[in-house]
Amino acid sequence: MGDTLITIIVIGLVAVLMFVVPLMTMADRTDDMSQLTVDTETKEVAEDIRTTGKLTMDKYSKYVEAISSTGNAYDVEIEVKVLDENPGKKTTQAESRKIGENVYSVMYTSQVLDYLEKNKVLTLKEGDIIVLRAKNKSTTPSQQIKNFLYSVAGNDTYSIAAEHAAMITANGTGK
Amino acid sequence: MKLQNLGVIFIIIILPISIVLNVYIGNQAKTLSLQTSYDAKLNNATYDALKAFQLNTINSDTSDLANSKLRDIEASANTFFNSIASNFNMAGYNQDILKEYVPALVYTMYDGYYIYSPYTNTLDDTNLNKVMNQETGMVEEKSDAQILSQDNENATYKEGDKLSGVKPYIYYSCRYIRGADDFVITYSLDNYITIQGVIDNQWRFDYGYLLDDVGTEGTTYRGITIDSGNQTREWVYDAEKGKQEYPYIKLNGVKYYNDGNAWFSFLNGEKYPQDQFEPKTSAAIQYYKEAKEFTDRVRNTYHLTDLTGKNAVDENGVSLEDKLGDYEIFAEDAKINIEDPNSNFNQQRLAVIRYSIEKNLSIAIANYNNGGTYHFQMPVLKEDEWDKIMNNISIISFLQGLNIGGKIYNGHSIITNNKNQEVVNEESIYILTTDGKYHRPNDTQLIGKDSDIVTGILNIDFERKSHIDSNGETQYFFPKYAEGCYTCMINQTTVEATDNFYQYMKDKGGRLAEVYFTALGRERYGMYKTNNNPDTLKEQWYKK
Repeated sequence: MGDTLITIIVIGLVAVLMFVVPLMTMADRTDDMSQLTVDTETKEVAEDIRTTGKLTMDKYSKYVEAISSTGNAYDVEIEVKVLDENPGKKTTQAESRKIGENVYSVMYTSQVLDYLEKNKVLTLKEGDIIVLRAKNKSTTPSQQIKNFLYSVAGNDTYSIAAEHAAMITANGTGK
Repeated sequence: MKLQNLGVIFIIIILPISIVLNVYIGNQAKTLSLQTSYDAKLNNATYDALKAFQLNTINSDTSDLANSKLRDIEASANTFFNSIASNFNMAGYNQDILKEYVPALVYTMYDGYYIYSPYTNTLDDTNLNKVMNQETGMVEEKSDAQILSQDNENATYKEGDKLSGVKPYIYYSCRYIRGADDFVITYSLDNYITIQGVIDNQWRFDYGYLLDDVGTEGTTYRGITIDSGNQTREWVYDAEKGKQEYPYIKLNGVKYYNDGNAWFSFLNGEKYPQDQFEPKTSAAIQYYKEAKEFTDRVRNTYHLTDLTGKNAVDENGVSLEDKLGDYEIFAEDAKINIEDPNSNFNQQRLAVIRYSIEKNLSIAIANYNNGGTYHFQMPVLKEDEWDKIMNNISIISFLQGLNIGGKIYNGHSIITNNKNQEVVNEESIYILTTDGKYHRPNDTQLIGKDSDIVTGILNIDFERKSHIDSNGETQYFFPKYAEGCYTCMINQTTVEATDNFYQYMKDKGGRLAEVYFTALGRERYGMYKTNNNPDTLKEQWYKK
C-alpha cells in the first residue's frame, strides 16, 4: 500500500516536472518573445511617425498585423497630441510657435481610426506627440497556465504591453 | 530506504528551492527590464526636450538673447514633462506625479548653465510696498507675503507652494586670488573667456578669445592666410518678395542683409531697415586680430602666465587646488597652442566647468529632499558623459525614486546637440564644394581638391527654417541649400578621426585650411555675446 502511494506521488511529481514545468517555462519564454516583438514594433512605428510626420491606415494595419503575428490579440491605443498654436497667437509674444509653450488637443484611438478610414492619412506637424500603446487582450498560454495553477489573473491583467511616445520632428506632407 | 522514497524526498527539497529561485530570478529580470525600459523612456523624453529646444531656437531670430533663451528653456522643459508623462502613462504615472521624481533638469549653454528644478515658493516679507486699502481708501505698507497670502486667497502662487522653474543662470566661472589680485575668470565651451576683478591694483573687465600663432593684424593663423572678404549669402523669406537670396554680414548674432540699395534685418519674418554698413575689415580677420591682442593682454598686461589652479578658490576663499590642479593655465608653450585640446588652459577650462556643474547640481538635487522616504542625490557621472557635457550644448535629466520592484530607480540621461546658435565648435564648420554638396571638415575626400572647395559654412545654416506668411501658411526654406555628402555626412566612412581640428587643418593646409579657419573665425566673431560693445562694432562696421 505504502509503495503504491509513493509510486503514485512519484508519478504525479514526475508528470509535473516533465510536462507542467517545461510547458510553463516554454509559455513564459513565448511571452518574452512576444513582449520583445511588440516592444520593437511599437517603437519602430512611433519612431517612423516621428520622423515622417504621418500616420497612414497602411502603417497602422501593418503594425497590428506584425504584433498579432505573435499569436495573441492586442488592444492597440493611439493617442495623438496635437499642438495648438492659437493660444500663443493671442499673447503679446512675437513668436507663437514655440514647441512646449502651447497647449495640446488630444485625438484618441477611435477618433484617429475614424479619420484614417475616411482620409487614409493623418498628417502631423513638428511638436505634436504620438503615443502608441499595445497590450494583449487575449489570454496568453502562460497566463492560462498561471490562471489554472494560481488563479491570480483578474479581468484587467495583461502580460504583454508596450508603450512608446515620440515628438514629431517633421511636418507630414500627406503624400 | 527505497529509491522512490529518496526521489520523493529529493523532489520535495529541490522543488520549493527551485520555485523560489525561479521567482527570485524572474523578479530580478523584471527589475532589470523595467530599469532598461525607464532608461529608454527618460532618454526619449530628454531627446524630445532637446529637439524642441533646437527647433525653437533655429526658428527664432532672438534665441540668443537671455529672456528669449529662458523662454526656450521653459518650453523645452514643458516638452520634457509632456513627453515623459506620455511615455509613463501605462506605468500609471501622470505629469504632476512624475514632476516629484525629477529633481533637476540641466541645460548647459555656451558660458554657463540653467538648472530647472522644483523649489518652495517663498514670498518676500521684508520689503514693504505702498498699497491702497480698498475699504478705507488709505495707503498702507504691506509686504508681498501679506498682499498675496492674506489679502488675496485666490493668488496664483502662495507661500510654501511647491513649484518648478528655471533658476538663475550660473556661469562656468572660478575665482582666483594671487597676492593682492582677486578676480574671476568665466570660461566657455570654446576658447572665449571673461576676466573681471582686481589685477595689479586696477579693476579689470576684459574678454576675448585666446589664440596662439596668429600673424600680424590677424591675416594669418598657424601660417594659413585668412580670407579678407565678407562674401556670405543666404536665402531668406522676404514677406514682400518671397524667397530671396541676399548677401549678409553677421554681427552680434544678427544677420544684416543687403539688396543692393539698403541694409535690413529680419525679426520673426518682419523686415527692419538698418543703418548703412561700411565694413573696414572682415569678421574673420577681426576675430584673429582681436584674439591675438587679447591673448597678449592676458599674458603681458595682466601677467597671468604664472596663474595656476593653486590660486583658485571657492566663494568662501577655500583653495580648490585638489580639484583644479597645479599647472600654469595661460603659459606659453612652443609645442602646444593655448586653444589646443591638450593645453593647460583647456584642462583648467574643463575642470572648472565640471566642478561648477557638479557642485551646483548636487546642491539643487540635495535641496529637493523634502522629508520623503527617498533621499535624492546626484548620481556619479562617467568620464565619457562629462566629455559630452563639457564640449556641447546638452540637457541632463534626472529621474529618481520610482519603485521598480527589487530596487528604487535612479537614472539620468544626457543628450547633446551641436546644431544650435549657442556655440561654434570646431566641428560646426562644414565645407561646401563646387558640386553643391557639403562635407565635414575632416572628410578625406577634400584633401588635395583645392579647386573644388568653395567656402566654409556654419552647420545650422543648412538646417531648414520656417516662416509664417501673411496668409498664416508656414513656409519652409533652407538658408543655404546643399546636399550632405554621402560618405562623410551620412555614412561617415571617409571621415578621418581627429581630436585637434586646428592641427589637422594646419597639417592639411591649402584651400581647405584657408576656408575652414576663415569660416571658424567669421562665425565665432558673429556670435551674440553679452560682452560685445556696440560702440566698437559701430566703429568698425557702420558707415559714419
